[in-house]
Amino acid sequence: MTDFNRRQLMSLGAGAAALAGLGVPMDVLAQAGAKGQLTIGFPADLPTWDPNARTLAAVQSLYKLVFDQPLAQNEDASVKPALVTKYAFTNPTTLELDLRSDVKFHDGTPLTAEDFKYSFFERQQQPVPQGGRKLDTSFIWRKVSAIETPTANKVIMKFSEPMPSAVAWLYFLASFVVPKAHLEKVGVEEFTKKPIGSGPYKFVEYQQGARLVLEANEAYWGGAPKIKNVTIEFIRDPTARVAAFESKRIDVAIDVPIREAQRLGGQPGVTASIYPITDIVLLQITKNGGFADDKARLAAHHAIDKAAISKALFGGFAPTISVPAALGSPGYPTGYEFKFDAAKATALLKELGHGPDKPLKIKLASTNGVFPNDFDTARAIVQMWKKVGIEADLEAIETSVYQERLRAGTLPEATLFSWGNAAADPEFYGGYLLDPKSIFSAFKSDELAPKFQPLLVETDEAKRLSGYKAAHQFASERGFTIPLFQTVKTVVHTNQVNIVKHVNGHILPQTYSFKS
Amino acid sequence: MAFLALQLLIRRALLAVPILLCVSALVFLVLRLLPADPIAMSVPPGATQADYDQLRISFGLDRSLPEQYLIWLGKLLQGDFGGSIFFRRPVMELVAKALPATLELVGLGFLLGIVIGISGGLAMFMTRGRWGEQVLDGSTTVMMAIPEFLWAILLILFLGVVLPLFPFIGRLAPDLTLPVPLTGFLILDSALSLRVDLLASVLAHMALPAFALAIGIAPLLMRVLRSSLLETIHEDYVTQARLRGVSESRIVIRHAFPNAALPTLSLIGVQGGFMFGGTVLVEMIFAYPGLGNLMIDAVRNHDLPVIQAVALIYCVLVLGINAVVDVVYLAVNPRLRLKGRPA
Repeated sequence: MTDFNRRQLMSLGAGAAALAGLGVPMDVLAQAGAKGQLTIGFPADLPTWDPNARTLAAVQSLYKLVFDQPLAQNEDASVKPALVTKYAFTNPTTLELDLRSDVKFHDGTPLTAEDFKYSFFERQQQPVPQGGRKLDTSFIWRKVSAIETPTANKVIMKFSEPMPSAVAWLYFLASFVVPKAHLEKVGVEEFTKKPIGSGPYKFVEYQQGARLVLEANEAYWGGAPKIKNVTIEFIRDPTARVAAFESKRIDVAIDVPIREAQRLGGQPGVTASIYPITDIVLLQITKNGGFADDKARLAAHHAIDKAAISKALFGGFAPTISVPAALGSPGYPTGYEFKFDAAKATALLKELGHGPDKPLKIKLASTNGVFPNDFDTARAIVQMWKKVGIEADLEAIETSVYQERLRAGTLPEATLFSWGNAAADPEFYGGYLLDPKSIFSAFKSDELAPKFQPLLVETDEAKRLSGYKAAHQFASERGFTIPLFQTVKTVVHTNQVNIVKHVNGHILPQTYSFKS
Repeated sequence: MAFLALQLLIRRALLAVPILLCVSALVFLVLRLLPADPIAMSVPPGATQADYDQLRISFGLDRSLPEQYLIWLGKLLQGDFGGSIFFRRPVMELVAKALPATLELVGLGFLLGIVIGISGGLAMFMTRGRWGEQVLDGSTTVMMAIPEFLWAILLILFLGVVLPLFPFIGRLAPDLTLPVPLTGFLILDSALSLRVDLLASVLAHMALPAFALAIGIAPLLMRVLRSSLLETIHEDYVTQARLRGVSESRIVIRHAFPNAALPTLSLIGVQGGFMFGGTVLVEMIFAYPGLGNLMIDAVRNHDLPVIQAVALIYCVLVLGINAVVDVVYLAVNPRLRLKGRPA
């Protein structure tokens, strides 16, 4: 029998009295998980239910519940077969793919090569309605010049020029297969009201900004999910996510602050999974103002004790990085380390005539609250720089301001920035962040172009990967970038749930189970 | 009375036109002058500078500011708020889904605020000079000192977590499904579909956010009503009533309160406007899918068409509340009705 102390009894009595008085039925306060369903507190909502429309990294996990991608990733982010069982470049501009033959959409119709062609080529060719906008996949797959479908399970993708990252794109942002016949029959507007995919869960109900209700697809080609009913509660505020978990209204809370995760993890019946993912945090560097000289940028990099920041702000869970890529990812040069060396930083600054008495004055911009501890990280860097003779004027900016300045070429010397790359392909790290032609790059240097641009069309995979390793190292050694650490994911859950950690940061309840 | 009220509403509606024009122009201008780029926020990987330029053109952002404003205004007059840059959907559709939730929440918050404010004000007055007044006065100070979003967090902590009496996520319990949306107002929809379980769940989910909003207006109403009553109680007609042997409580309720309520009523109009502003953070904290949450998404992503639309709708709602309060004021204040009569 459960023992209650006096305070608990008083609480129960007061609660029951209040409930009775207010007429609140007890089932309103039903605890999550009680009815065999998994409830997840998720920090972001979908902008649209058209999975090809937006490349918003934060919600790709949600699309993956209802839709399938041609390829998938293992827990360590390596590629694995999904709808596509076999793939190979037969020449630099032709990619041949074999599709599974046992895949069905939620309405029971088979998924065939025609659906693939529609999702990755035909939809992108359709005229954009007045006031509308192209699908994001139109930009991603712009090099696709044709898709041949010799059989219902064979696809031949033809590219206008080599696209070595095509394989990675088949399991990356917005690359989902949609049902051609159904979408053409009902139109996009109706489709987004009740989407049909071939994924592990079927869509049941969606309230924008509030909730997504799903049920298991028992006929899923990869085997029916073990958890049959999943509800995603969109709770933007991290404090509210923590409160929802503590009051047992959700079974799993995603992206709670690290300190809260550690605290909750210490409670009985709760597990906190805190692990690094393939997204990275870095300083986007320009050669504007005080950073025109390589020595100044290198001094700034040497002066940052990344391990200390990781320990102080991320509980030591954020691995420090020396190039703009996740540790162990294909583009990370093995064994390379850009060392924290305050003495070297001081010496480099001295060569430029600067020191603590005559500091080098620069500007550092940072978002505040866009990703965990962003502004605190920036403040720590300011203090570390101050010790060696760099005086940084710290400015808090919105992401939209960062984007505007990036586009206009008016970013300050350094800007703290978070970069997502669930695929972990090196093209989506340095290829985007450092190729001067890329709209995402901040440091526009003619020295970087020959390092990165040939790799964008290099079809020899071994050469491509070794090329990126070298280019990343080169950029770091010349002070064209200041990578800091990998992002940390927090998942707090009850012990009744077994979760699977994916280093690409995805939250995939189809891989979860309840403990028996 | 009905004629005067109609006259008043027409006057208010006419006055609203230039106000809305000014607000729309101001919001439009301020958003365009901010050093932030709405297109850059949603440029996908693989896009080139040419694509980016093309996107700017497709949203009309390459045109001059007056041109952009006139095009937007022209569409607005046809009931078209344009398309959302972030959501890739018509703004009207997004607003139509979110507006009923916010109106329902503000309505309940407003009602709670008025009930707490008036009953509290009366209680403060009735206990004047005693410890009860001191306690109530202290509580109004505490209520005013803590901002709405912090109240929201405290309410979640105490009534959602420590003593889990109320749910605090969304509009409905996870095991209940929405009725076919007749109006989008869940209280109404669940009542129309005769679902008591839905109605109870909807009201329970609204309780804490509505209370957090109510706390924003209740203490001010309490204090103003108490002050007005203190002034009114010394009027000659109150003294006459006392001499006639009328009980103190009857004097307060029947004689002093109707006169003292007028300044409180004016304040309700002003505070009602502020309450809409309060929904932004309160809705975010309670994961309540209304206009406030939509506004947060829009601001984060610099989604200009959505920000403009929501700002304008807030303005219309505030003007609407003020017009309703004016009509009520007219109804309860006979002097205003006399002024309106021809000599």
